[in-house]
Amino acid sequence: MDKTVETAAYPHNEANAQPSRTYYSTHPADLHYIGVNVPCQNACPAFTNVPAYIRCLFEDRNARSYDLNRIANLFPGVLGRICSRPCETKCRHGEPELGKSVGICHLKRSAADFGDTAVAPKQPTRNPQGKNVCIIGAGPAGLAAGYDLAIAGFQVTILEALSEAGGMLRYGIPEFRLPRDVLAKEIQWVLDHGMTLRTGVRVGRDVYLDDLLHAYDAVLMAAGCYVSKPLEVQGEDLPGVYTGLRFVMDIASGKAPSLGNNVLVIGAGFTAFDCARLALRYGASNVSICLRATEHDLRVADEEIFETKREGIKILGLMASNRIIGVDRLEAVEFLRTRPTELLPNGKRKVAPIQQSEFVVPCDTAIVAIGQGAEPLPGPGDKDRRGVIRIDTRTFRSSVPRLYGAGDYTTGPTTVIEAIASGRRAAQRIVENLAGSRTTQWAVKIEDANITDRERSWDYIQREEMPTIMPVQARMVAPTNEVDQGFSPEQTREESKRCYLCYLHYEIDMARCIYCRYCIDVAPRDCIKLVKSVVLNEVGAVVGFEETKIWRHVNAVIIDNARCIRCGECVRVCPVDCISVSKVELVQQTIPCGGTNGS
Amino acid sequence: MARERCVIIGNGPAANAAAVALRQETSELDIMMIGEETFPHYRPHLLPAYVAGAISKEDLFVTPPSFYEKCNIRIRLGQRVVQVKLDQRELVLSHKEIVPFDALIIACGGRQRIPERLQIFEELLLTLKTPADAQRWIEGLKSAETILIVGGDLTSLSFATAIASAGKRVTFMLEEESFWPLPLSRDLADDVKQRLTRKGVEIIEASCIKRLTRKSEDVIEVDTDTGLIASNLVGAFYGLIPNVKFLVRSGLDVERGVLVDENLRTRFDLVYAAGDCAQIYHPELRDYWVSIGYRNAMEQGKIAAQNLSGGMISIAAPPASIFCAEGVMVNTSWWMEF
Repeated sequence: MDKTVETAAYPHNEANAQPSRTYYSTHPADLHYIGVNVPCQNACPAFTNVPAYIRCLFEDRNARSYDLNRIANLFPGVLGRICSRPCETKCRHGEPELGKSVGICHLKRSAADFGDTAVAPKQPTRNPQGKNVCIIGAGPAGLAAGYDLAIAGFQVTILEALSEAGGMLRYGIPEFRLPRDVLAKEIQWVLDHGMTLRTGVRVGRDVYLDDLLHAYDAVLMAAGCYVSKPLEVQGEDLPGVYTGLRFVMDIASGKAPSLGNNVLVIGAGFTAFDCARLALRYGASNVSICLRATEHDLRVADEEIFETKREGIKILGLMASNRIIGVDRLEAVEFLRTRPTELLPNGKRKVAPIQQSEFVVPCDTAIVAIGQGAEPLPGPGDKDRRGVIRIDTRTFRSSVPRLYGAGDYTTGPTTVIEAIASGRRAAQRIVENLAGSRTTQWAVKIEDANITDRERSWDYIQREEMPTIMPVQARMVAPTNEVDQGFSPEQTREESKRCYLCYLHYEIDMARCIYCRYCIDVAPRDCIKLVKSVVLNEVGAVVGFEETKIWRHVNAVIIDNARCIRCGECVRVCPVDCISVSKVELVQQTIPCGGTNGS
Repeated sequence: MARERCVIIGNGPAANAAAVALRQETSELDIMMIGEETFPHYRPHLLPAYVAGAISKEDLFVTPPSFYEKCNIRIRLGQRVVQVKLDQRELVLSHKEIVPFDALIIACGGRQRIPERLQIFEELLLTLKTPADAQRWIEGLKSAETILIVGGDLTSLSFATAIASAGKRVTFMLEEESFWPLPLSRDLADDVKQRLTRKGVEIIEASCIKRLTRKSEDVIEVDTDTGLIASNLVGAFYGLIPNVKFLVRSGLDVERGVLVDENLRTRFDLVYAAGDCAQIYHPELRDYWVSIGYRNAMEQGKIAAQNLSGGMISIAAPPASIFCAEGVMVNTSWWMEF
């Protein structure tokens, strides 16, 4: 059949023939739908609209792509380098039979590299409220909260104990992973929304919490986690033993410690990896990361593990530190062998040290990076046993009226993207409480769409690898050289083609379906189902299908959007054009004034 | 009722020994071997001699296909297990077939390791683990005059001397620190170097490779910390790494290899691991160890099968797996570093 004639005579997409329509819904069933069908956006703590920004990159609309990121996460250039990528673990392309997840994070960096990052600050959405908020800590959570509060018309003052803004971004993440000019530029954009930043002001030393609560209408604790957890083993105080945080902060402040040749890093998180790679850049020649569990239990991204090994760092598993050995100075670390036991629900592997399995590893420096906690502060309020103010992680409130908390300070160490999302949510809570109404709400935007121009062959494009400085020796020439080089425009385009665009929703109009099942014949996987009934939950969201193979029981042919890879084959083959496509996105709507009270 | 099925992943020495031992124990069991390579069971340690032309291809192979038929062992080659679902007692193969099992012996062995820093140059490097690798060497050696061997493992020593004796100019860049399976001491390294020199292998003093570049169709230039070396072929010999990536999210304990106790049991009922892919706990030493080598693997395969059939045999301790490589005794029982 002549394809062109067919297309002209029977427009494939019914929506094409009608004026485009857009709806916004805040119905719980629609919000639930996003969770099931657009797994990347739902996995992002800040709900970054991943398919939309990847599609923009494909269309060469880089500035828009950057902006779509910034709307949600404020720091695309930063996150495009260092995000923990919860989206990629949920990416549909990464399902077992479908290959590897889309390089969402690397594409975010492309949006920052090629997009127009010199955008004017956003205008406040409301008139000045005549109220002021003090934020303690200029890290990702504090800056994100400050941004939303400033946009909502509040006077914002951020107090930062260290000499520059950025928190862990500035002091915790090494420069070879995050160049300081990228960071400074994106922080400046946030600050340009009319906030006062006062650096070098430490609460509890230079100012007191009580005074702040008197002077401001609300205070937000976003001071992060800067107290290193001790190993709690003998000899931990010996010279030569560093905490991971002190080590990275010293280097970030220009004070490189002398390490010797042999360095052991004890810990399994991002900080441990950063410490190991920094140690190599500051003079050590033999660096090992010592894990209690195994390499496979790490939450660090595979690429990071690979780059770390590529630089020559060894990753040693199944060893728990037992004792630090040395007379005046560290000489060795004694470990116990461990045995892996059960996998905890949070994905962490429990291990049990094996008694009397001691072995000794000599070293010149040991860096202990096993986690951090929030700093205890003198002042009012309900506190935990370490003296840290307790914050309800759901309401962001403390026991003290008008004292709120956000980010790692309230939750313990998390990730940058979680801190940003937490800061923004806490800001909304403060806005609600101080102004009496919200300024934004999350809604599902539903609009007519066409089937994509994606070709089925694009589903087989291999994931692009991030180009890095090679050979590895060249990385060590200057310790601040950024290792990841960023995708080229061509790589960006190829990688952007891989996204299934899960924000598209395919639906069969049962009133017009003739049950020919052609769509099932062309379906690439079991995404179209013959069903007896659809299972709904209490809010009316589709949560399952009662499938049947008995023809007389079939009441509908249904596209399971949780399985659909948006290839469009069903639409192309349908003889009666009963399959429609719509675009479904989670968007943050601005409520200019007097919106619904969400408290 | 259907007969119970034991699946053995692998077709190397451990897998074959396990299959044979299992069949000896019982005739009431379906035995299925699934091997990733397409070759029938071969002796990897003879590959250097095969490349050098000292033995024929037929000499490599151990078991004829008729053997499996006779023993009623089903063997599937060229099929890769991509997932093990232990709760459902199923394997998923790369072509999406699902294979149910009642008992499982994991004997998938190891593969040639290329250090991470050299992986971007992988297509310029030749390895020697399978008959297919050997074929590539044989093709290459037809026209090649100069051969550079980098790294250092047990295979590389016999391989370097074998092709040197076949009249090729062989240079060896020995990385003592990363010699596999354990770093060489200064004395041992000197000894190895002397032995190699005596057999006509030229030793190059360099400690790291910065870059490999293909200069022309038959010349590869290797940039090292002590200068440039041009060579027709470059062989990478960095030992073996257990092939256990596909087991990582299965619920099995995996570190370097699959963690098993001294009876080769995993934490799952009727699931065992044997050979190069097993990392064995030693109750006296209170540590894990990995053995390498053909004979150890066979021994372990046999023990896994016997224990699966109700035995309680512990693996010999301490494992006396002392290898003789170029006259140097190397104790390969301990997993020192990777």
